[in-house]
Amino acid sequence: MSGMITVEEAEEVVALPPEQPSLPPGEWIRKNLFSSIGNGVLTVLFALLLVFAFRGLVNFAFENPERDWDAVRANLRLYMTFAYPLDQYVRVWVSLGIVLSLSGLSAGLWSPDGYVSARRISTWFLGGGAVLLAAALAVQGQLQRDENGEFLIDEDLELIRGSWASGLGSRISWFALAAILIGAGAAIWFGLGDRRRNTFVRTVNLTYAGFGVIVGSLWVVRYGHYNGSPAEGTHYADPDSLVAMSTRLPWTVMWVLLGVSYFVGKAVRGWPLLKPLALTFWGLLPFFVFWVVLRDPDIDWAHVWTTDLPMYLAFAVIGGAVLFTLTNPSLGEIGRALAFVLLLVAVFTFVGGFFGWFSMLQKARLSFVFLAAFALVANNFAGEFAKRRTFVIGWLLTLGVMHYFVTLINSASTLNIRSDSFLGGFMFTIFAAVFGLMFSFPLGVLLALARTSSLPIFRLLATTFIEVVRGIPFITVLFFFSIMLPLFLPEGMEVAEHGAVIVGLVLFSSAYLAENVRGGLQSVRRGQYEAADATGLTTAQRTGLIVLPQALRVSIPPLVGQTISSYKETSLFAIVGIFDFLRIANNVVPNQSSPINFVGHKREGLLFVSLIYWIGSYAMSKYSQKLEKKLGVGSR
Amino acid sequence: MGEQRVTSTSTLASTQATKPPWYRDTTIVKWFAQVAALVLVVGALAFLAIVGGDNLEAKDIATDFDFLNINQGFDISEGIDSDPDTGGRALWVGIVNTLRLAVAGMFVATILGVLIGVARLSQNWMVNKAASAYIETLRNIPVIVQIFIYAAVLGGLGRLTADSDFLWGLGYISAKGVSLPRVFVADGFYQWAVFLVIGSVVGFFVHRNRVRLQESTGRITYPNLWALGVLTAFAIVGWFAHPMWGFLSGVFGSIGDAWDSIPQILMQLLLSALVVFSAASWIRRFLDSKRTPAGLAKLTDDDIFRIIFAGVGGVIGLLFLMVLWPGLSSWIVNSGSDFWHFLADKFGDGRSGQPVDAMMPTIEGEGTLLKYGPQGLTMTVGFAAMFLGVTLYTAAFIAEIVRGGILAVPKGQSEAASAIGLNRAQSLRQVILPQAFRVSLPPLGNQYLNLTKNTSLGIAVGYADVVSIGNTLLNQSGKALSVIALWMLFYLACSLSISVVVNWFNVRMKIVER
Repeated sequence: MSGMITVEEAEEVVALPPEQPSLPPGEWIRKNLFSSIGNGVLTVLFALLLVFAFRGLVNFAFENPERDWDAVRANLRLYMTFAYPLDQYVRVWVSLGIVLSLSGLSAGLWSPDGYVSARRISTWFLGGGAVLLAAALAVQGQLQRDENGEFLIDEDLELIRGSWASGLGSRISWFALAAILIGAGAAIWFGLGDRRRNTFVRTVNLTYAGFGVIVGSLWVVRYGHYNGSPAEGTHYADPDSLVAMSTRLPWTVMWVLLGVSYFVGKAVRGWPLLKPLALTFWGLLPFFVFWVVLRDPDIDWAHVWTTDLPMYLAFAVIGGAVLFTLTNPSLGEIGRALAFVLLLVAVFTFVGGFFGWFSMLQKARLSFVFLAAFALVANNFAGEFAKRRTFVIGWLLTLGVMHYFVTLINSASTLNIRSDSFLGGFMFTIFAAVFGLMFSFPLGVLLALARTSSLPIFRLLATTFIEVVRGIPFITVLFFFSIMLPLFLPEGMEVAEHGAVIVGLVLFSSAYLAENVRGGLQSVRRGQYEAADATGLTTAQRTGLIVLPQALRVSIPPLVGQTISSYKETSLFAIVGIFDFLRIANNVVPNQSSPINFVGHKREGLLFVSLIYWIGSYAMSKYSQKLEKKLGVGSR
Repeated sequence: MGEQRVTSTSTLASTQATKPPWYRDTTIVKWFAQVAALVLVVGALAFLAIVGGDNLEAKDIATDFDFLNINQGFDISEGIDSDPDTGGRALWVGIVNTLRLAVAGMFVATILGVLIGVARLSQNWMVNKAASAYIETLRNIPVIVQIFIYAAVLGGLGRLTADSDFLWGLGYISAKGVSLPRVFVADGFYQWAVFLVIGSVVGFFVHRNRVRLQESTGRITYPNLWALGVLTAFAIVGWFAHPMWGFLSGVFGSIGDAWDSIPQILMQLLLSALVVFSAASWIRRFLDSKRTPAGLAKLTDDDIFRIIFAGVGGVIGLLFLMVLWPGLSSWIVNSGSDFWHFLADKFGDGRSGQPVDAMMPTIEGEGTLLKYGPQGLTMTVGFAAMFLGVTLYTAAFIAEIVRGGILAVPKGQSEAASAIGLNRAQSLRQVILPQAFRVSLPPLGNQYLNLTKNTSLGIAVGYADVVSIGNTLLNQSGKALSVIALWMLFYLACSLSISVVVNWFNVRMKIVER
């Protein structure tokens, strides 16, 4: 393992807490389980409770004759991407590849200094093996069948089961896996001896190795897109008909991609500007993946050459010149007046468009808005030539990105899809959560600033919005946006239901986010404001450079908590009729009769969905706890 | 930059002397920005309302509340009325179902959450791990997924047959739900309730006396037991003696008649006076709070805004009462008289039976089409799934809050408790938990709010709550805006009441500091 490092190296980066001497097993049991008679009784009671709950869960999931896990295994494609057209399925893999490459690259660039001790790895193996062993031992007897393969039942209509030992036979693979895990754990534990405490593995390497093991297992057991053979009444993995359909090869490619990009990232770590560039790419990634890769827009190049590009150039050159002038430090009050005029122009384009005074491309209107926004902040960038140049380059890039995406959004998709959107399944959940977070975060910060501002009307508006939204359940917000939003839009403007519910999610979570940020804002000391004022900063500079950085740092843990909540809230989309992850488990798969009959198999899907949600939010909550410790928020 | 600084220093004196031009005056700029924002928001809302109104008109959907008075002709699977005769009544059934679920959920989730939260801090490794497994599992799975799972599992229970009884015939359980004996309020209840009220009052005084006695003498006087004993004694005596209150019927009847004779305009004037008086007294108290020994402090624009707001609010309230909705005052008059006549009826002749009665659950129908009869208290699978879902989910969060609250109690408190000889259970109950409760009350209130909001998911499993019934109304009448407005009003009212109650407790419970 290349990631193994010695304790000297580790101590450079992490200050280890002093080791606690561990108790011998007998002592530990006496102290923690049987310290008194009452405690002993409690221990036994809870042990029994845990055993029964565990046994019940395992048997509910695997031993019930009604259980058919193929309902999940054969429908993984449906769960993940729902109705994405099969002939262009490779786009999903490309998207995943882009995300993973960027993750690998960022991991290489930042190289997070997390370490896990060999002792902990060993306990994970041992614990996992023990749980698996217990699950294998919790098996019930094999169900008895008659000669026709029907289950035998006794006079109370209960299924007849054989002896416990007869059930163990069906769990050979479980025992084998448990043995491997326990063996590996024991090997690390005893092989390293006393060095197990002092040997560390980089978390990055460990994660990568774990991912590799999972990918490797695909070559043994296949999941993903299944196909049925009606003649035989069986179903099998659709192996190699399409590369994109057999999951093992693409996943292996993904794994390699992740590793390669990690090393690339490490190699170019010293280069300048790479980190902000990577962050920008992360910001643009969801849009790029959605609008470009997955949606595959059919760009009208003739229109691009005749209209789009000239318009961009015009705005870029004229706007750039205007902004360059505005950043001239000796301009004085005329600059503000000009910015104000630009703002009026931007507003006027929309008002005029609404009353039909003149026609104008939406892109031009948006460009005016962007120009006005840049002009309003221009005086913060006034200064020498280099500073002004950076500002103008920022304008060119922002405008370019905006024009690019607006062009893409206005182009039709080439996908042949039957429903109104190709988004569905877990992919939609992820997109909803990410877009929800991206848009609700700035909105929430604005609301929090407005609510804590000293200006009464802002405060009143923000407080009303926040309190009303926080007082009503998310489901009514969703109903409002899925039913009412189409009614409130002017003629010719449409929004897909998927978009409408994401708008609902954004507004809903922004109210909660605002409260979290407000907590952070209140923790910023008065003196900070006064010092900023004394330095001569404007209100905008004070807020952006002094107050918000401190406030957001304090509110990071609650913000992660809010992200978890939003992620869980996305499950409510199922109720308003969007084919998300949960709806597929609850409504689609249980009604599937061809090619394979899965009618009524609801519980497998629900267990699977809860597992996926659980993994996501558990990981995030663990991360937030770590972050909280790292930031030391509680201890200040 | 350097140049600039020099110039600004040199002009410092002159800048201070001259007033800034009007477009740099912060007050003007601030108010301009605010008014612009207000115009923008109001304009956007008006724009949406105009477009929405046009669209609705084009679709021939009127936004009114007529559907509340029309018989919608659908059945409701559970609740106080299975065949409501108007839409409003149907919605009322839904509201009662929602509140029933919310109150039951809060009650059980609190108990469960406190137990698990205490278990999470147990020294016993097994108990500790069991509690943390519960918390980490349940709070990380969306509540709707859990509700679906419970519904799927409960739906898999056996068919309803004559044999599906449990608890020695006290109830039935099947895929159709659980039917339990229904305890209900019978004829003599209101008379008996008078005894209970008197018993509570007497019990309260007894309790206070016993506490005083204990505090002055140090003798253990069991105040709680005494109070409970008094209440029980009154309840038992009242069970037999309650017909003696029959004469109250006439009293209530005449109060009701007297109330009836209040003219509507009088009530209207009374309410208006109340509104004007409260606005005026608010302004006066506000000004008083600004008064310093040197006279009235200079009012900021913010203060002036507040005063204007209070004044405008008062005027709007006045307009509302006198012009826009004069029906409110007659409604108050009518409901007052209805209330007294209702009591008169409840105390009247033939109302002297048993105060509380119970009915055993039954099964109706024949062959394979069995269903629960109306006698039992039936909880459908939908209710059970919702109840389990919201309760177990919220309990996990409450457990974390209780744990946090207990950890917030200084260690010295538990050390002091064991120093004066309390055992662990005693110190927990009498020293730690009361203090932990104070810390955890505000977040606990938030959880109650969340629980109430989560009850809106009943539509997913067919539980007839206010959202689910509203959705049916919406589909039948198409009046989406009205229904959504009613939902929002209902939930806002719930949220507001919960926060008022929690705040009240919070103020009462706060440790009085020096």
